[in-house]
Amino acid sequence: MSLIKKPKLTREGLLAIIVAAFILFLSLSTNFSSKSGIYSFMLDVSPTMVAAIGLSMIIFTGNIDISAGTISGFVAYTAGALVKAGAPMIIFVPAAILVGTLLAGLNGYLTVKFKVPSIVVTLAMNMVHVGFYATFLPQSGWIENLGPRFTWFGRARMFGIIPYTFLVAVVVAAIFIFIMAYSKFGKKLYAVGGNAQSAVYSGINPDRIVIKVFFIEGFLIGISALLRALTRNEVMPSMFIGRELFFISAALVGGVSIFGGSGKIIGAVLGAMFVYLISIAMIYLGFQDYYQFALQGIIILIAVFITVADFSKWKKKRPEAPEGAV
Amino acid sequence: MNEKPILVIDSIEKSFPGVKALSDVSIDLRQGEVHAVCGENGAGKSTLMKIICGVYQPDGGKMILNGADYSIQDPNDAYARGIAIIFQESSLFPDLTVLENIFMGHEIQKPILSFLKSIKINDYPSMHRRASAIFERLGMDIDLDAIVSDLGVATKQMIEIAKALTFDSPILILDEPTAALTSKEVDTLFDTIRKLKSEGHSMLYISHRLDEIFEVCDRVTVLRDGQFIKTEDVAKTNRDELVTWMVGRNLDTLYPKIEVDIGDVIFEAKGLNQKGILNNIDFNLRKGEILGIAGLAGAGRTELALAVCGLTKLDSGELYLNNKKVSFPNYRSAQKRGVDYISEDRKAFGLVLEMSVKVNLTQKLQPKISNFIGIIRRNEEDLYTEDSIKKLDIKTPDSDFIVENLSGGNQQKVSVAKALVIDPQILILDEPTRGVDVGAKSELHRIISNLASEGRSIILISSDLPEILGMCDRVFVMKEGRMAGEVMRDEMSQEKILGMAL
Repeated sequence: MSLIKKPKLTREGLLAIIVAAFILFLSLSTNFSSKSGIYSFMLDVSPTMVAAIGLSMIIFTGNIDISAGTISGFVAYTAGALVKAGAPMIIFVPAAILVGTLLAGLNGYLTVKFKVPSIVVTLAMNMVHVGFYATFLPQSGWIENLGPRFTWFGRARMFGIIPYTFLVAVVVAAIFIFIMAYSKFGKKLYAVGGNAQSAVYSGINPDRIVIKVFFIEGFLIGISALLRALTRNEVMPSMFIGRELFFISAALVGGVSIFGGSGKIIGAVLGAMFVYLISIAMIYLGFQDYYQFALQGIIILIAVFITVADFSKWKKKRPEAPEGAV
Repeated sequence: MNEKPILVIDSIEKSFPGVKALSDVSIDLRQGEVHAVCGENGAGKSTLMKIICGVYQPDGGKMILNGADYSIQDPNDAYARGIAIIFQESSLFPDLTVLENIFMGHEIQKPILSFLKSIKINDYPSMHRRASAIFERLGMDIDLDAIVSDLGVATKQMIEIAKALTFDSPILILDEPTAALTSKEVDTLFDTIRKLKSEGHSMLYISHRLDEIFEVCDRVTVLRDGQFIKTEDVAKTNRDELVTWMVGRNLDTLYPKIEVDIGDVIFEAKGLNQKGILNNIDFNLRKGEILGIAGLAGAGRTELALAVCGLTKLDSGELYLNNKKVSFPNYRSAQKRGVDYISEDRKAFGLVLEMSVKVNLTQKLQPKISNFIGIIRRNEEDLYTEDSIKKLDIKTPDSDFIVENLSGGNQQKVSVAKALVIDPQILILDEPTRGVDVGAKSELHRIISNLASEGRSIILISSDLPEILGMCDRVFVMKEGRMAGEVMRDEMSQEKILGMAL
C-alpha cells in the first residue's frame, strides 16, 4: 500500500501562475507597470481580498453570505457618521468593524437557530439591509465632505507606491492563512463542510462552528468595507450593494468549493487578484463597461472550470438511488 | 484473553418513535477478546454501537466500564474514556489529508512561542511522528499528506483504524469494517485485528458476514429484532446454528396468499451487468407469479429493480417482454410497456408527502385527464380518486387530506394505487411493508395477492423473510450483486434463504 509522492500542481499553484502571467502580460503590453497602474490595482484589490477570505471561511463550512455587500454598507456608514460626529480613528474604526461583526453574527445565529439554509437567511437580510438604508438612514446614508481625518489612511502610501490598505490586506491574509493551517478551529471548518455527520462523530459541534465563522466573516467584512470607504471623501451605503458577488467569485475562482469542505485562503487571495486583473485588462483592451461585465463573468466561469471543476463532487451531491434494506 | 469483562452492557433499552430498537440487550466484552455482534438487517447492531459511543442515549439499562458505571454524552466523551469507534470508510473527510483526518478534533498542539503558553497551535511534526508510528504498527506505508479522496477503499478503512488508535483506546468498536473491501483486503484487515488483539485491545466486531466471525472472533452475540438472543464461544457453535438464532421466527398467519394459476414467462432478463453493482444477472417472471428477491442490505436488489425499469442504465444485458426484445432507455418507456416500480423510500421517491391524497393518486393520470393545454378535468380526477380509495380501502377522511398525515400503511396503499393508474402488467414492489404496522401489513399482502390473481406479475423485494416465505411463488436470492440462488415455494425455508444470502 505504498504511495509514491509525485509533485502535483495544485489549484492554487495553477492560479498563481495565471495571475503572474497576467501581470507580466499587462506590464509588457500596456503602461500597467507604471506607478499609478500598480498603485490603483493594489488599492482596488485590497477590500476584495479581505472579504474573499471571510467568504471563503463561510463557504468552507458549506454556508454562504449573500448579505456581505450590504453589511459593508452599514460598516461604511457607521464610520462616516462617527467621523462627522467628531470621533477619532481609534473610536470609529473599531465601532464600524463591530457593526459588521454583529450583523454577520446575526446571520449565523439565525441560520443555526432556525435551521434555515444560510442562503435563505442572508438573501433575506440583504433585502432588509437595502430597505433599511432607504428608510431609516438620513439621506439614505449619504455623507459627504468627510475630510482628511477619514481619508488619510486610505490615501496613504508606503514608498509612494504601496497603499496602506494593501498592507492591511496582506497582513490579514497572512494571519488567516496561519490560522487555517495551525489551529484546531481551521480544520473544523473543513470538517463541518465536508461531512457534518462525521464531524459530530469527531466530537465537533457544527452549530457552534457555523456561528463562530459568521462572526469572523463579519469582522473581515468590517475591515474590507473600511479599506474601500476610507479611500473616498464620502460614504454611500448603496455603493456596496452587489459587492458580495465579487467576494464570492474571488473565492470560487480561487478554488474554494461551493459545496464546502475544501479550498484554501491563499486561493481566495489569488482569486481576488485575478478578478481585478481581468477588469484592468478589459479596460486596456478598450471594452466598454457593459461588455466588461459580461466578459468578466464568462472568464470567471472558465477560471472556475479550470480550477474547481471536480465532477466527482457533483455526483456525490446528486440524490442517490435508494440502497438496500437496513 | 482473560475472563474479566472490561465493558459490560447491561439490559440496555432504546426506543425510537414507533419502534423498539433495543430491548434488554446485554453484552460483556472481555479483556483482549474480539467479540462479534451479529444479526439480520434491523436487528439493532448499529443502534447498540451508537449507544456505546454516545451518539444515542439509552432509555434504560446501564453500562459498566472497568467495574464502574459510566454514561457518556458524545463521542468525545467515549474517546476520553478509552472507547474508540472505527466507522465505515465513508465517514472520513474526503478533501482533507490523511494526517488531518486522523487527528480531526483532537490535534496535537504546542504553544505558539515558548513564552506564550496560552496560545496553542497545531504541532505537525509531532502528529507526523505519531501517525507514522501508528501506521508502522499496522504494517502500512502511507503518504500522510495524500488527499483522502485519492485513496482506495481499503486504505481509507485503515485510516479509520489509525484514527481510532490515536486515542490509545483499550476498547475498539468496528462497524462492519469489511463492507466495502475485497477478500484480499479483508485478509489484511484481519491480520491487523489479530495484531491489535495481541497488543491487548478488546474489540466489538459488528458484522453480518458469518464467515468472518469464525475467522477472527472469539465469542459471538446474536441479536434479533432488537432482542438479545445468545452469547456463545465461536468455537462451540457453527454457521447453521448462528443462522437459526438470527432467524428464529415462526411464520404467522399474516399472509393471505391466494393460489393463482401461473402462466407463461412474460418477462425475462438476460446477463444484466452494471459495473460494480450488478453482475451477470438472469431471471424470468411468469404471468400471475409473485417472485421474491431476497438478500442483505447492499446485495443489489434495489439496484436491480432500478435497472430493470430504466431508472438507471445497464452496461449490458437484454430484456424480453412477451418474448420480444425490449429496452427501456428511461422510466417512462418502461411504464408505457406496463412495467412499474414502487420505491422502498416513500418519502423520497414515492409520494409528494405535503400534497393531498388526490394529487398523489392522480399524478400519473394527469396526461389522460387533462385537455390539450394541460388543464385537468376535475370531475374525472374526483371520480378516479374515489374509485382508488374504495378499491384499495385507503383510510383517509377525504381525498384532499394531506398524505403526510396518513399512517404508513395507508401511505403505501396510495403508492400502490398511484402505480395502478397505468395498469401495469409487471409491478416491482420494493420493501412494500417496511415501517407499517401489522394490520396494514396484512392488508397490503391481501392487495398484492389480489393483483397477482388479476393476472399481473409481481416482483417483491423484501428483507422480511417471513413475508417472502408467505407471499412468493419463487424467490431469487441476491448476494453482492449476483444471483446466489433460486428457491421454489415448496422448498423455501428461512434458513435456506439466509444461508444463500450470507
